[in-house]
Amino acid sequence: MNALPRPSTIFLAAITTLVAVLLYSPLFVPIVSSFFTISHGDVDWSSPTLSTYRALAENHDILAALRTTLIVGLCTVVLSVVSGTLLALYYHGRRSGRSILQFIIFLPFLMPPIISGLALLIFFREIGLERSLLTVVIGHTVFVLAIVYRTVLMRLQSMSRTLVEASYDLGATGWQTFWRIILPNLSSAMVGGAILAFALSFDETMITILVTGTQSTLPVRLWAMMRLGFSPDINALVALILMFTVLLCVLAARFLIPRQMATERS
Amino acid sequence: MNQNTDLLTLRSVSKSYGKVPVLHDIDLSIRDGEFLTVLGPSGSGKTTVLRLIGGLEPLTAGEIRLDGQDISRMPINKRPFNTVFQDYALFPHMTVSGNVGYGLSVRHVQRREIARRVAEALELVQLGRFADRFPAQLSGGQRQRVALARALICQPRLILLDEPLAALDLELRRQMQEFLKSIQREIKTTFLFVTHDQEEAIGMADRICVMQAGHIRQLGTPHELYYKPNCEFVARFFGENNLVAGKLGPVQGEQRPIETALGRLVCSISDQPHLKAAPDGANAFAAFRPEALHLADATEGDNRFSGTIADLAFAGSSTVATIAAGSDTAAQRLRLRIPSRIDGSALKAGETVSLSFAPHEGHLVLA
Repeated sequence: MNALPRPSTIFLAAITTLVAVLLYSPLFVPIVSSFFTISHGDVDWSSPTLSTYRALAENHDILAALRTTLIVGLCTVVLSVVSGTLLALYYHGRRSGRSILQFIIFLPFLMPPIISGLALLIFFREIGLERSLLTVVIGHTVFVLAIVYRTVLMRLQSMSRTLVEASYDLGATGWQTFWRIILPNLSSAMVGGAILAFALSFDETMITILVTGTQSTLPVRLWAMMRLGFSPDINALVALILMFTVLLCVLAARFLIPRQMATERS
Repeated sequence: MNQNTDLLTLRSVSKSYGKVPVLHDIDLSIRDGEFLTVLGPSGSGKTTVLRLIGGLEPLTAGEIRLDGQDISRMPINKRPFNTVFQDYALFPHMTVSGNVGYGLSVRHVQRREIARRVAEALELVQLGRFADRFPAQLSGGQRQRVALARALICQPRLILLDEPLAALDLELRRQMQEFLKSIQREIKTTFLFVTHDQEEAIGMADRICVMQAGHIRQLGTPHELYYKPNCEFVARFFGENNLVAGKLGPVQGEQRPIETALGRLVCSISDQPHLKAAPDGANAFAAFRPEALHLADATEGDNRFSGTIADLAFAGSSTVATIAAGSDTAAQRLRLRIPSRIDGSALKAGETVSLSFAPHEGHLVLA
């Protein structure tokens, strides 16, 4: 970049700043306004307050939806991490069938969510499974499986094959090799995959709307509220979720970018 | 530890990957307590030999015997051998002592016993201070020593080393060669060392097994391989032999002449019955070392010929001259190594010189 002449550098910087401001400033509007009251459609900048947060704590509808979202998210994480890791382990090093499996795993992730959602809906109806949180969890797991599978598989592929050979060579059984060598080397990829899976499940809307029963998750709830207009406590909710998401992203990056310990350089 | 008893025997061992054969009918005996080096260019099958012995790959045919017992089908984790891998294969999530103690801990040895033996092994490889480091915090040479300590802590009958010095720079490689050799003497364990570097092989091995294209070409002491190669490949692979093609003449006691483009060359055939048995007129090579060639004063007689100095290369203590000899139709390039002199070499490029070598310094190789 240093090689560019000065005017073009300035031009590039200006464009970058403009894009960043245009794209990301809307994110900060709800955060800022969550600390002020709104009267007659205008933000009252004169008196900072935490009243929106207090209102949020009393909004049982929203809190129930949040709890549902968290339950679905955690179940999805457990299911997708276990099955994604098992699939990655099973297909690692196996040529035959792997590309087909990958295609199938990636399909729900790449297809428009409305198609995935409809397909699942029809499937659940055909096998006579009542729509409930269970169907939501299944839907989310199908959706995020690709991410976990891919993350774990990439770590497996970057792991030197001789590590496993060395373990056997030193007298370990297959079981010992799995628990003491393979799993510890995968764990950070699994945690990273879990965080991504949780984040995806957290805001998944389309599939959820189609396959959920009576309970709604947070995004679905917000979606429904749009028709009536938002109450100010939504600003507080958005601010909280935003902070939580940033935290998750930082954590995911930490686990997914290999630390020096995880990569042996020669 | 008796160097005359065989520890491990490979009998008619073959290996193919799919339809591609990599080892053809290998027979090899490893003696108890020796330092055996398997030497060969890449693709010669040397690493496959090591992987078959270690149990990392199944045999296609033949058998491997340990103390006379067939272990061909013994699983890798039951074999009393340990391997030092080319990339060391240290477990990145374990400390040095965790790595070294792994072989004991998977066998459920008591914690206190493990700690004692790990300390001992680290002491042996001079890494006592680094017990709590992670592999990523060590230098190449240190990792190499951790891998060695990890392999020898289980007191294996045989330690397999797969080009363990390949990733180190020259100076460190020399140090590690001496170090490995001294450790081997100290713990009196059999070492099977795979390398493509003939200098490394000569420096460390009790015996060397030269492999090429999935065959064992020669097995012997470094001295035997250096001075009495049994085939053209070994003669060319080991150092910078001069090879001159010709046809064998009648046996004269412990010597035999060969008719070449450089005239009649007489070479020693002592202790080599296959050279005595070869028929007259058989195609062969006269092989002699650059340091065996001397400047001569006459051009007549056996083992004497003249040549033109094409090039001179100063190599420190010695100077290597490339010499064009023989007729124009059968030109032959030879190397001559003479001690360097402080006032510059006595030789000049373009000069024509007479050369000779003593019959006992020449050697025959069947083509």
